[in-house]
Amino acid sequence: MTFFDLVRKNLFRKKLRTVLTTFAIFVAFLIFGVLATFQNALNSGEESASADRLIVTNRINFTLSMPISYVQRVAAVPGIKLVSHANWFGGYFQEQRNFLVAFAIDPQTYLDIYPEFVLPQAQRDAFLHDQGSIIVGKPLADKFHWKVGDRIPIKSSIFRKADGSDTWDFTVAGIITPGKSDVDVNFVAFHYEYFEQTRTFGHDTVGWMIVQTESPKVNERVAHAIDAMFANSPFETETKTEAAFNKAFTEQLGDLGFIVTSIVGAAFATILLIVGNTMMLTVRERTNEIAVLRTIGFTARRVFGLVLGESMLLALIGGILGLGGAFAFSFVLAKLLAGRLGALAFSPGTALIGAVLMATLGFLTGLLPALRAMSLDVVTALGRK
Amino acid sequence: MTDALMTLSGVSKRYTRGKQTIRIFDRLDMAIPRQDFVAIMGPSGSGKTTLLNMLGGIDRPSSGEISFDGKRIDNLSEGRLASFRATNLGFVFQFYNLMPMLTAAQNVELPLLLTKFNPKQRRERVNAALAVVNLADRARHKPSELSGGQQQRVAIARAIVSDPKLLLCDEPTGDLDRETAGEILGMLQTLNRDLGKTVVIVTHDPEAARFAKRTIHLDKGHFTEKDLGA
Amino acid sequence: MARTFIQIEAVTSMNLRSIPQRLWTSLATVVAVALVTGVLLSFLAMSNGFRTTVQGTGAPDVAIFLRKGSGSESNSIISRDQIQLLLDAPGIAKGSDGKPLLSAEMYAIVDGIKRSSGTKANLPLRGVGSNAAIVRRGIRVSAGRMFRTGTPELVVGRGVSKQFKGFELGGTIRLASQNWKVVGEFDAGGTVFESEIWADVVLLQGIYQRGSTVQTVRARMENADRLKGLQTYAEADPRLKLDVKAESDFYAAQSRGLSDLILYLGWPLAIAMSFGALAGALNTMYAAVDSRMREIATMRAIGFGGTAAFVGTMAESLLLSVIGGALGAIGTYLLFDGVSAATLGSNFTQIVFSLKLTPALVLQGVFLAVVIGLAGGIFPAWRAARVPLLAAFRDP
Repeated sequence: MTFFDLVRKNLFRKKLRTVLTTFAIFVAFLIFGVLATFQNALNSGEESASADRLIVTNRINFTLSMPISYVQRVAAVPGIKLVSHANWFGGYFQEQRNFLVAFAIDPQTYLDIYPEFVLPQAQRDAFLHDQGSIIVGKPLADKFHWKVGDRIPIKSSIFRKADGSDTWDFTVAGIITPGKSDVDVNFVAFHYEYFEQTRTFGHDTVGWMIVQTESPKVNERVAHAIDAMFANSPFETETKTEAAFNKAFTEQLGDLGFIVTSIVGAAFATILLIVGNTMMLTVRERTNEIAVLRTIGFTARRVFGLVLGESMLLALIGGILGLGGAFAFSFVLAKLLAGRLGALAFSPGTALIGAVLMATLGFLTGLLPALRAMSLDVVTALGRK
Repeated sequence: MTDALMTLSGVSKRYTRGKQTIRIFDRLDMAIPRQDFVAIMGPSGSGKTTLLNMLGGIDRPSSGEISFDGKRIDNLSEGRLASFRATNLGFVFQFYNLMPMLTAAQNVELPLLLTKFNPKQRRERVNAALAVVNLADRARHKPSELSGGQQQRVAIARAIVSDPKLLLCDEPTGDLDRETAGEILGMLQTLNRDLGKTVVIVTHDPEAARFAKRTIHLDKGHFTEKDLGA
Repeated sequence: MARTFIQIEAVTSMNLRSIPQRLWTSLATVVAVALVTGVLLSFLAMSNGFRTTVQGTGAPDVAIFLRKGSGSESNSIISRDQIQLLLDAPGIAKGSDGKPLLSAEMYAIVDGIKRSSGTKANLPLRGVGSNAAIVRRGIRVSAGRMFRTGTPELVVGRGVSKQFKGFELGGTIRLASQNWKVVGEFDAGGTVFESEIWADVVLLQGIYQRGSTVQTVRARMENADRLKGLQTYAEADPRLKLDVKAESDFYAAQSRGLSDLILYLGWPLAIAMSFGALAGALNTMYAAVDSRMREIATMRAIGFGGTAAFVGTMAESLLLSVIGGALGAIGTYLLFDGVSAATLGSNFTQIVFSLKLTPALVLQGVFLAVVIGLAGGIFPAWRAARVPLLAAFRDP
């Protein structure tokens, strides 16, 4: 038997009590894990943004468009490697509630500028050659059961075709997978040319441009150059780094960070009370035993360590189970919410923060009871029969 | 008194409750020779448990000196007192005070966790201690699966497992029937005679006191029969 | 029967009076339940506030026309010819000048800076004619005056001046590459319209190069039943590919998405936390019963029945939980009721709303607390009822 065995056996003495307390901790860490994953997904735009990419939008608001002639002019700005462009389609599949993130893009440049959107070479070639084709993100393909070669109809809530219909048909040329874990591929994309030829208004305009600079060092210079070029024109531009652009977008949702932190804070405050309270109860019930351990020769410090070890072990077990649950649940969530949120994945960062929280919880819940056990008056405790 | 295992010189113990001062003992002198088996008797409230606690270093005197093996223990720090107890003392209580979730063997092993022995050595010593109290066959049982007498024997095994010089017993047979009490006291005698351990028992039962070599009576903080030393 | 009641009363009052002995334990349970209730009620207040703001928006007797399939105002487009056709539609009320009450409106999006975070957010810039406030219901200029047609003047909703920087009365602000003077503020009864900025539609058509098109048309109907007639009229004419809805229905549908989301997040979260609090409550009550084993057994030996012990324990558990629930409700009310928040609506624009806690919602919170109290008490109460009499004589 080792000291760890002693701690362990003490912990599982009253099985029901330990199960209940572990469960409470499990719930708190489950909540933390799931909410952290959500928050990551919403911030993933910021995290996965590339340092050398800039987004150019209409200065008045990003929902307004710019003339396509701007693309050539931007490409001429020194310090730029690549320029691409995209249009928001306002797409949905079959019903309005199956809202899709759909873009009309310039295929070659767009795929070059976003190397993290992975497409097998054969599918890429097929996409580039067929103007009426579309590439779809894997989560969406799974959700709607689309396969390469399928003919799928995408509706637009904004645009119309010459015949008055709002439905565009495309052939699925490829399925996009993420190059890294936090890359969001919940979108579909098709040829700008095809879109341009078939839509009834907004001709020769683009929604936004994506610019890849030669190095992040020249970002600011390039951004200023672009905006200066179009200042005082009917379509003034605003150029931001991709990270700043994504961040501004999620900020519109409100102070979600605050809400998430408050909830997790409340959940942890709750279990802190519950577990701390249980540990106190436990120590109070064991005063006699603690006194006996002291007579055997256990120092006050060792007794302190035994109690603290117990609360740490408890926090560890509950915490690992809770984070494990959140990890499993994140897969379910990713499937359910495919297409709606960013990349939903349980990140190592969350696990790390969880570990710190476990240690803190174990320490805080055990501190007072351990101090109490340590300062027990052995004589009085032994006298109690 | 030079070969006494434990000596008390001018030991007093006082408690203050608000404005009142209660004297438990006043300038007590006592010597316990090596390999002694002494029973301390007295009515309740006489201070015999307090005396035992002081012998065990659990309680400190208000004044006076207590020495063990020629070295003072009343002025040791908490840490040193703890290791003193671990090395030199074994306690046996009236209500056994075993850990309910540990087996007999694990209960006996507890004091050894404080030593530097490796698991193999610990196991050997535990088995030896259990053999002495004739409970080797119950090593794996939990206290709830043992009778009162068997539990007390486990407690004794725990008390001797690190081979201490002194055994302090507070009403060791208080919760046992006559026959079992006899067994336990007989065991203490064996430990005293054959293994050379010094034994001090506190009891209110004259029948139990008969197993000891000598009896001391404590009343209102004074000995009524003085010990003249070995 | 009467005997049982007397017993129950005696045991219960003993139990409750002994709570101070287990003060810290009991307090922990109370606070835990309070936190759970607080989280639930915060979500409910958010969802309710959002829904109230959006649902209260729009009148049942104002019809809104959008291009078929647009779904939202910003995606829609209506031409001058279509507006002409609508002038002859049946069931539209007439103004004091005898002309049908129609308001042709543009919906653009501009950037505003939030006061709270200093970050940018989308705001609706609505282009309206002079009769917009007459056609619609519930809009009233509460400070300053309405803008003069043809001039770069703005009136802003109360929510905008509250939550966003730079829209003070009498000041100037630059929007859509144009300088505007803020000449008035309007009150829209706490609805979505208070998050809007209004300007002259003709001016905006020029700025945004829209020619003579607008995005939506609103019409005041003679009464709410005229909607069907309007819909039929629009269906019958192939040149009018328009969706016709009652304004109130239109906004109700728009709010559902987000308010549902808040509910779908809030309830599961609260329930998950409740399980945690429940674990705590169970621990507390089991410990309470354990520590009073002898007491309970002695009472039983005296002759008190198991029912009394059961009810007494349940009463204790329920009391702690209800106090916790009440504290959570009070806390949520003091902290969050009336607090203004803003988030993304379905047009990608901000909707300002206030968290609103109602007695009906508080009841839901207390209900949750009671459930925790019941669940947390029932097993320990059962154990208390079945304590064997021998426990009176055993050592603790």
